[in-house]
Amino acid sequence: MAYPLQLGLQDATSPVMEELIQFHDHTLMIALLVSTMVFYTILTTVTSKLTNKNMLDSQGIETIWTIAPALILFLIAMPSLRLLYMMDEVNNPHLTVKTIGHQWYWSYEYTDYKNLEFDSYMIPTQDLIPGQFRLLETDHRMVVPTDSPVRMLITADDTIHSWAVPTLGVKMDAIPGRLNQTTFVVSHPGVFYGQCSEICGANHSFMPISVEAIPLIHFEDWSTSMLAKI
Amino acid sequence: MGNGPIRKRNHAAVQWQGKKRSARKRRGFKLLGILDVQNTPCAREALLHGAGGSAVAGLLHFLVTSRVKRSFDVGFAGFMLTTLGSWFYCRLKNAKLRVQQRMVQEGIKNKILYEGTPLDPTNKPRPSGPS
Repeated sequence: MAYPLQLGLQDATSPVMEELIQFHDHTLMIALLVSTMVFYTILTTVTSKLTNKNMLDSQGIETIWTIAPALILFLIAMPSLRLLYMMDEVNNPHLTVKTIGHQWYWSYEYTDYKNLEFDSYMIPTQDLIPGQFRLLETDHRMVVPTDSPVRMLITADDTIHSWAVPTLGVKMDAIPGRLNQTTFVVSHPGVFYGQCSEICGANHSFMPISVEAIPLIHFEDWSTSMLAKI
Repeated sequence: MGNGPIRKRNHAAVQWQGKKRSARKRRGFKLLGILDVQNTPCAREALLHGAGGSAVAGLLHFLVTSRVKRSFDVGFAGFMLTTLGSWFYCRLKNAKLRVQQRMVQEGIKNKILYEGTPLDPTNKPRPSGPS
């Protein structure tokens, strides 16, 4: 999960996020090399004692610095497009969860088998128990089974919100009157946090998302216990 | 100084992180403050190959031409080319390995699911009876 002064991405918990991290590293290395080259070029130009007032054109270097950037962009675009289409695949989801953004909480509906619905409010800082994370914990987590494709249908009740969990590589806007779909697979069990990612009012920063991934057999127990509670 | 409760580590919360302490990522060296060289696959190898290629190219050029500035330029070009070449080669190899790893994982999962059933791919077809 996130840690203070973090610059990079969180560790991946889904195959899509693993691919996103790979693509990010790939593009970052290219960007780093291009930046190094530009820096070196500026340095040599500034420290050079040569001045040539009569240089008008140079076909060779013009050709190089036209083809080379095109090639670099091609090498970035190929994995980018591959990943873009991979992220759009649906992959026969085992479970569909509907989430609705409200001001200022999320509600989740599991309507595949029985009507399980609950709201997920942030736990206020003064109510946290030692070991819980400030501004991230919720009273009810969205629970999903591991290694199972999950379809999320996302919408909102009032203003635009955005459902995002960085470690799963998921971010999707929740827009009133519109149903957005995304799918993800959680690779290993754990609790994964996210926060609302679209400004939605005074408590925009205080409507987090927490997803708990557990093995399928325990998921069935959880849904039974939730139905009994609610 | 606050008077709040001392925060103890929640063991369950730590367990849910899915990592043991020993397996936690090392604090990597960040090149230019951006690229985490130790924890990014292929980065360390690519940069080391680049450094080596740069040194070799620059030195060879200098030995042949005795031109210092141009040798630096050649060395830099060697660094760029060697780093990029090593990076792409290593990433391509890793990508192929990842694909194979996923196929193997899928195969193991399917084997467990279908073992003992008619769909088990390891079931050898029984020889037909006597004619």
